[in-house]
This record gives sequence, C-alpha cells and structure tokens, in this order.
Amino acid sequence: MTTQFTSDVRAPAVASPQRTRSGISWWFIVAVIAVAATYIRAIYFTPLEAIQGPAQKIYYVHPTSAWVAFLAFGIVALASIGYLWLKDLKLDRVAESAAEVGVVFTSVTLVTGSLWGKPIWGTWWTWDARLTLTLFLWFIYVGYLVLRGAIEDREMRARYSAVLGILGALLIPFIHLSVYLFRTLHPMPIIGKPSRPSLPNEMLETFALAFVSFTILFIALFRARYRLAIERDALDAQERG
Amino acid sequence: MPHNAGYYHAAYIIVAVVYGAYALSLWLRLRAVRRKHDQGSNGVRVD
Repeated sequence: MTTQFTSDVRAPAVASPQRTRSGISWWFIVAVIAVAATYIRAIYFTPLEAIQGPAQKIYYVHPTSAWVAFLAFGIVALASIGYLWLKDLKLDRVAESAAEVGVVFTSVTLVTGSLWGKPIWGTWWTWDARLTLTLFLWFIYVGYLVLRGAIEDREMRARYSAVLGILGALLIPFIHLSVYLFRTLHPMPIIGKPSRPSLPNEMLETFALAFVSFTILFIALFRARYRLAIERDALDAQERG
Repeated sequence: MPHNAGYYHAAYIIVAVVYGAYALSLWLRLRAVRRKHDQGSNGVRVD
C-alpha cells in the first residue's frame, strides 16, 4: 500500500514531543511534598544546636543545594563529553538543562551560605578559598548560559558550550577539597568525609531527608527544563521550515 | 544560645521563593513555546 502526500510541507527536523496535559509531572508533586516534609521536620522536629543556635538550621538547605549543583554540573560535563564524542543533540540539551538548574542551585548555595556566615562569622562574605571557588563556578556556568544565548548556529553553540561545560566541572573536586588544601574559614565536612558523620542522629536524619528531597526537586526541575529544550528545538525547526 | 532565628527564617523563605519562582518560570516558558508552536502549526496550510 502506498500513501500519497498532496502537500509539500516538510516535516520538522525535531519531531514535536508528546505533551502532558498540564505540564506538571508527578516528580514535581513528589518534590513539593518531600521539600515540605523537610521544612516541617527541620523547623519543628529537629533540635537546636547549642553553640550556633537557630542559624545552624540553614545547614539543611545549604550543603544539600551545593550537592545538587555539583550533581548538575557533573551531568553537564558527562553530557558534554558525550556530545563531543557522538554529536547527538539530545546530549547537548541534557547539558544545557542541567547547567541552568545547576546555576539556580548554586545561587541558593551562595545566598544561604551568606545568611549563615553573618551570624556565625560576623560577615556576609569573605574571600575564603571555598566561597571564592564556588562563586567562580557560578560565574563559569552563568557564562556558559550567556555563551549559548550568543551563538546562533546550533552545532557551533553545542560544541563551544560543551568545552566550557567540561572545563567548569573540573572545579568541583577542588571546591570539595579546598578546605583540606587551603587554610579556610569554611567548616570541614561534617558528613561527606572518610570517617563517620559527626552529627547527632536526629540532625542526621533531617539532613538525609533534605538530601533526598532536594535531589528529587532537581530531577523534577531538570525534566521540566529538558522538556522545554525539546519543544524549543521543535519550534526552531518549525520556524526554519 | 544566640538569638539568630531571623537568618534561618530568611534562608528558608529565600530557598522556597527561588525554587518556586524557577519552577514557575519553566512552566511559563514552556507554555509560551507551545503557544508559538501551535500558532505556527495552525498557520501552515495543507492542501
């Protein structure tokens, strides 16, 4: 059986993706519930730390946001390596989506760190190695997003930003190790260290809940951003004819 | 114990506002792209 097309309208290079009715995924609903549960547990059911006082509770949102930012930029690097190797634009969309979400989480890390620093250190900001490197990481990925916006050609945009995405992620191990490599004001890791976590169980459980809920929130945001990237590419393909 | 609850209240509010605003921006951008896409599709005449 043959099918005859009476139109000369060409199919777009990127097929229009399947749509969800509202655009809100189950991941979002789970993320909102998990983050709300974290807030309730941290505010009402987690004891105050005796020396730092209530400001210590910033701990449940600060390193968890930093973890998600590192995860996001790690994904950028892996997807970028994959793109340079395979030239698959799907991987470029993954990198682009993870980078944008990572910048949001890094922004939150910097702001919440500053809000913790003022009552504990007596200053909003200090040019400490970890803080400075984290700010530098933020600038690199903001630059990555600006670069993407500045290049019209799809292939060139993907190639250039892949290189920057990989280079930026090289900072992540240095940021993690900066408290060991330099004399810094930033506290040593309490959980992410070779020995056992030095937190009481109640605080550790709240931290674990925050860790899981922020990771779920990342997945929800990343999926939504990736869907946007697919639909935007489909629109660009349609506009190009 | 120091009285510094204001800082953690501010941090929790900022976290909720930033992530909420970003999620909303994604939804609005997606809606705008879909609207443009639909307008483009409707504009194509298939004879």
